[in-house]
Amino acid sequence: MKKFIFLFVLFFIGAGGAFANTECEKAEAFMSEIGEKVITLLTDKSISDHERANQFREILETKFNGKAIAKFVLGRYWKQASEEEKQRFLELFKETTIASYATRFKEYTSEKFEIIGCRPEADGGVTVLSQIVRPKSQNIPINWKVFEKKGKLMIYDVALEGISMSVTQRSEFSAVIQKGGGKVQAINNALEKKLAEFGKVMNSEIRQ
Amino acid sequence: MKSLGTVFFLFNFVFSPTCLLAQQDALSYIDNELHPGQIEHMDAAERQEVLEPPSAVEDNDPLEPINRGVFWVNDILDTILFDRISEMYVGIVPEFLRERVGYVLRNLSEPIVLVNNVLQGEMGDAEDTLRRFLINSTVGVGGVFDVSTDLNIPYKREDFGLTLASWGCGSGPYLVLPILGPSNLRDTFGRIGDYSFDPINWWAYFSDDKAAYSYGRTAIQILDAKAENIAIIEDLNKNAIDRYATFRSWYTERRNHLIAKEDVKATDTPHPDDEE
Repeated sequence: MKKFIFLFVLFFIGAGGAFANTECEKAEAFMSEIGEKVITLLTDKSISDHERANQFREILETKFNGKAIAKFVLGRYWKQASEEEKQRFLELFKETTIASYATRFKEYTSEKFEIIGCRPEADGGVTVLSQIVRPKSQNIPINWKVFEKKGKLMIYDVALEGISMSVTQRSEFSAVIQKGGGKVQAINNALEKKLAEFGKVMNSEIRQ
Repeated sequence: MKSLGTVFFLFNFVFSPTCLLAQQDALSYIDNELHPGQIEHMDAAERQEVLEPPSAVEDNDPLEPINRGVFWVNDILDTILFDRISEMYVGIVPEFLRERVGYVLRNLSEPIVLVNNVLQGEMGDAEDTLRRFLINSTVGVGGVFDVSTDLNIPYKREDFGLTLASWGCGSGPYLVLPILGPSNLRDTFGRIGDYSFDPINWWAYFSDDKAAYSYGRTAIQILDAKAENIAIIEDLNKNAIDRYATFRSWYTERRNHLIAKEDVKATDTPHPDDEE
């Protein structure tokens, strides 16, 4: 009987481990697929700039949960915002994020993207650990927070060297809103201005 | 010079006990002993509650107007002076040499790391640090080559600010220091502590003609740090809306991450429930 219980327990521990592993591995495979896609986009010279920009947009729109991130980043101001302000914020946040990633990717040269592993988190998500390997300086560790919802995996946060982008942005946006008299309008205007700046940079680069 | 050192040193002694008494704990989430640095999982309603009050980062900046002023001055100093010097440094000195300089400086700072390892009671880490220092100073020719990392004893950063944190000392208000940039009260005292632990400063202290060496090293350290972080600083500058707030958050998060040691604080992030 004792032996039986032991086997029974062992079975469940084993099954639990296997379950956690597949969750983890699924997230890992998901991230490595995105990584490969992005690197092909960056290195394939036959793709036009316009096409490249479109494909980036598609990846960012489909692989990141923009709405959850936007709501988190706005924090307690989300509830105060009017429906119109919310819609405008969602749109502007998405556009500035895409623009900032597009400029970041432009600087990509000979770095390599590597998946190191994954770790299930207490909140049901999985952190996929990766790093950018730079030939001449220290590697940059990047952690991706991935959740599965309705059978679909999506990225919810990016942490650079242990620093969550969403938490940093929440803090920054809240400072902007506070300086603007506690109005969500303030962050929307600031984002609009930022977007115009990005637009100018990108346009001038295209013209060159 | 001598009197300055003495003041620093005394300051340290005075400060340490006051720090322990006045635990103004801005980092309450690292108190959970089972999962240091981890916020327990919450449901959507609880999360909303947590997101309600202004986050600890903004709350912890009573000197914001002054800090913003210093930040602004630092910015001007950076643009007209330090960025130029650091560009020249990066431009003139080849990558390989700059890396050597970085390694030598890091090797020279290893005794400070050792003191902090011991003060934190991390004897395993202390042993690693000592081994690193001995190996790199001899086989690595005075730290020019980081042999230890190849031998799988990687560098682990420690400073007195982190030691104070490990003793349960809260961060105190956020501060922007002239030239040195983002810090907080605890880490400012930490810097002073590290300065007083440094055997090279003691050596310079007891022979006044060596003081120039100590200053020179500090200058190169700043240069090295700027050259090393140039990519991330440029990224922040380009993408931030409120640069001051971004640096404040970045610094606070980075320090909390180092205090927590392990990368466990990964549950305070956007969540599928946020979408509803």
